[in-house]
Amino acid sequence: MSEPATAQPRAPKRIPVLGGYYALLIALLYLPIVILVIFSLNANQVLAFPLQGFTWQWYAQALANPTAVAAARNSVLVALGSSVVATALATMVAILVARFSFRGKRLLLSLAVLPLIVPYIVLAVALLLLFAALDVNRSLWTVGFAHTVIALPYALLIIVARIGGVSPFLDEASADLGADYVTTLRRVVLPIIAPAILAAWLVAFTASFDEFALALFLAGPDPTLPVFIYGQLRFASRLPMLISLATMVMAGTLTLALVADRLRRRS
Amino acid sequence: MTTQTPVAERAGPSAYRAGAGRPTRRRLRLDRNVTFWGLVIPPSVWLALFFLVPLVLIVVISLRPDLRGGVLAGVPPTLDQYQTLLEKPAYMRLFGTSIAMALGVAAAATALAFPIAYFLAFRAGRRAGLFLALLLIPFWTSFLLRVMAWKVMLGSGGVINSFLLSTGLTAEPVAFLLYNRFAVVITLVYVWTPFVALPILAGLQRIDPTLFEAAADLGSTPARRFWRIVLPLSAPGVIAGFFMCFIPTVGEYVTPLLVGGSGGSMYGNLIQDFFTKAANWPLGAAMSLVMLAGTLLFVALAIRLINPRRLVG
Amino acid sequence: MKRYARSVLAVVAVLALLIGGAGISGMPTAAQGSGSLTVLDWAGFDDEQFWIDFKNAHPDVDVTFEMGASDADILAKMMAGSQADVFHPYTGWLQFYVEEGLVEELDTSRLANWDKVPERFKELGQFDGKQYFVPYDWGYSSVLYRTDLAPEAGDSWDAMFDPAYSGHISMWDDGVAAVDVASQVLGLDELNLTEEELDKIQQLWIDQRELNLFYWSGEPELVEAMASGDVWVAYAWQGAYALLRAQGVPVAYANPEEGRHSWVGYYGIRAGTENLDNAYAFLDGKLAEETARNVVETFYYGSANQDVMASIDDPELIDVLAIDDPTVLDRTFFSPAISAEQRDAWAEMWVDVKAS
Repeated sequence: MSEPATAQPRAPKRIPVLGGYYALLIALLYLPIVILVIFSLNANQVLAFPLQGFTWQWYAQALANPTAVAAARNSVLVALGSSVVATALATMVAILVARFSFRGKRLLLSLAVLPLIVPYIVLAVALLLLFAALDVNRSLWTVGFAHTVIALPYALLIIVARIGGVSPFLDEASADLGADYVTTLRRVVLPIIAPAILAAWLVAFTASFDEFALALFLAGPDPTLPVFIYGQLRFASRLPMLISLATMVMAGTLTLALVADRLRRRS
Repeated sequence: MTTQTPVAERAGPSAYRAGAGRPTRRRLRLDRNVTFWGLVIPPSVWLALFFLVPLVLIVVISLRPDLRGGVLAGVPPTLDQYQTLLEKPAYMRLFGTSIAMALGVAAAATALAFPIAYFLAFRAGRRAGLFLALLLIPFWTSFLLRVMAWKVMLGSGGVINSFLLSTGLTAEPVAFLLYNRFAVVITLVYVWTPFVALPILAGLQRIDPTLFEAAADLGSTPARRFWRIVLPLSAPGVIAGFFMCFIPTVGEYVTPLLVGGSGGSMYGNLIQDFFTKAANWPLGAAMSLVMLAGTLLFVALAIRLINPRRLVG
Repeated sequence: MKRYARSVLAVVAVLALLIGGAGISGMPTAAQGSGSLTVLDWAGFDDEQFWIDFKNAHPDVDVTFEMGASDADILAKMMAGSQADVFHPYTGWLQFYVEEGLVEELDTSRLANWDKVPERFKELGQFDGKQYFVPYDWGYSSVLYRTDLAPEAGDSWDAMFDPAYSGHISMWDDGVAAVDVASQVLGLDELNLTEEELDKIQQLWIDQRELNLFYWSGEPELVEAMASGDVWVAYAWQGAYALLRAQGVPVAYANPEEGRHSWVGYYGIRAGTENLDNAYAFLDGKLAEETARNVVETFYYGSANQDVMASIDDPELIDVLAIDDPTVLDRTFFSPAISAEQRDAWAEMWVDVKAS
């Protein structure tokens, strides 16, 4: 990250307005989660104030439920797989869009962005029909395929916004220095757009992890987490167990992010 | 993509201007050709199989009178469903409302996201990655459960109303934050802001910091630098973010179900109803295609107004 | 190029490993054991405790669940060619499967627990004198209200339309239920509605929309809103009543003078299934002791096994299901068998209410 404003002497005194704004947004984003944590420890089946005493029983219930634990694992697997594929495909399309001109370029670009616009429920039904026609059994694979399609446009828009700013002269310079085109892509273009690729991957992962509409239609015998939660939510008595499950997933991901940051800073 | 013609001749914006190094040029040309196919085949095949073919299936279904006989039954196509839609002006009105809501949501989310992206790009320093992750991790917790938590906060017996009532600020519980169209818009802005920040961030990160120094050396003020450098150069990211939010919001149905109340339905809810509640997939399919066409038309018009080249750079 | 290809390969390999591990465990193992069974069911019923007797008797059968969101959804999926072997419709929707030839006629001699089913429930699963469906769960639809906030709501469905409760009413998001209720309130014969009468019903609900806070689609949503005091009066099943009572929320479940509505859930076998033996065993398992008891104790639903119902001694359950009230059944309407035209017209009416 650059600090452009400090590079010149007349920099005005910095009031941390932006930092404060960021903190406020973070607070708003995490507030409902704090509430969920509180209710996950509350000895009441219904989410309502006043609180009725402390309990670990919902956590015990969630951990004792093998389907619940498996569902969390399934969601991680599907999100990892689909986000990596979606980001890879999006990077390919972005490079094509920015570096090549060919007939059908507009078609490819619109095709890649179009999934944004199709309601998930429609895509879900359509994919269900497709897999039925192909005689493919529904499984985590079918959910994963669907998630690559919906994550692709997000990833693409993010990467395209970055790659558009990479000067084509860099390619030429690289070629003049004797690099073949693949090397140019790998050594020049990809490193420059790497932050965007990372952000795109994060969004793709996020788009898949809590995705429900497609997964409900396309999941086979193994549910993903949102499908599992939906099934259990038909009856209100399961709610606290689900909240404790969600809290644990949240705690796990936050810890991972913090550890990753710590490791990165140390290295 | 099969119509692709000799790429190398036309490929690349400036790579083939006359200059030195002929042998390199020829190798580059061959390379680019191979690379082109390597890049173009996977996404094309993937999208054709998992998106285009399913879309065709939806078109086929929308031309069916009903679902009788299964999906692949050979029924002569009919425009009955589209006719039905023409007789329902209320549906089209709701589509218009949904477009208007999506415009509002996208505009608000973009405006709110810009400072976040700016903060991450220029002020967050080395921890920008962590700050970015912190912004997205809440979305890994079930949306359904998070909305439930908000409802507990905002409902009649919730924290905010308990506080207002106990302090005597209001005599009746305040209810406008839930179960209406306004609540849908607020919730969607809340959900989208972090996502819209991403393409803007990607756009801001590509601004060359030396531009600021140059501008400062030439005596430009910070405000002027913002208007003349930051804003124009981040435009593609801003536009991308806007449409990334606008397009899916038109077809949104989950949020209206959760916080919209009786009067907060959007067009997507009608589609959802015809698929899951009314056993009328053909009509639902026809409505989706109408929405698809309408939104595309709208986006195409908007893009034409903004000047398309800036999006792709 | 080589190095590039290698890194691409590496990515693909990692991916294959990642999803492959998941895929293998997710792959139905149809070939082995004693075959497979696919059940098209409502969310929640996929929980093992609602087919535990089948599982214990046939541990090798690979059971897969497909989810349906509503009766209409399940019917649509069956009509679209779902390969589910067994499916779970409710009263009012059974006849469509018979008309469309989607359901297998049953040989009840293959059901060991058949004699535990009350005659009335058997009859509702018969068409033209042939048994097509096996009953499993039943319950009520009635007005649920907060006795502290809306103490007068109990006698009639009119409470759902009473301006006194404006902003605190919640109707179930369902077209057929909407016609059921409105026909009773307006005194119409719902099976012989004229177009004008259906318009009247639509207008009634359009007017009601101003008073209605939200249309609930899942029970938890309703329970939270009633517990918080946002909703005072609602169309509800007895499960919500039981849960709120257990939490000490002051609620009552009405016995409207027009009568309660009642529904019965059935399981049918898809015509032409390749897993007929497993399907019969699954249906029989639904009537067995433990599976039947679980639906009563977990969901507060009634069971079609009358021995299980007779053995219930929890006063809470007896009250919630009105087991001890012999007159409640006389004042109960089982959802009538509607025609396909009525079904579509009513569903469209309800969408129009929400779109207007």
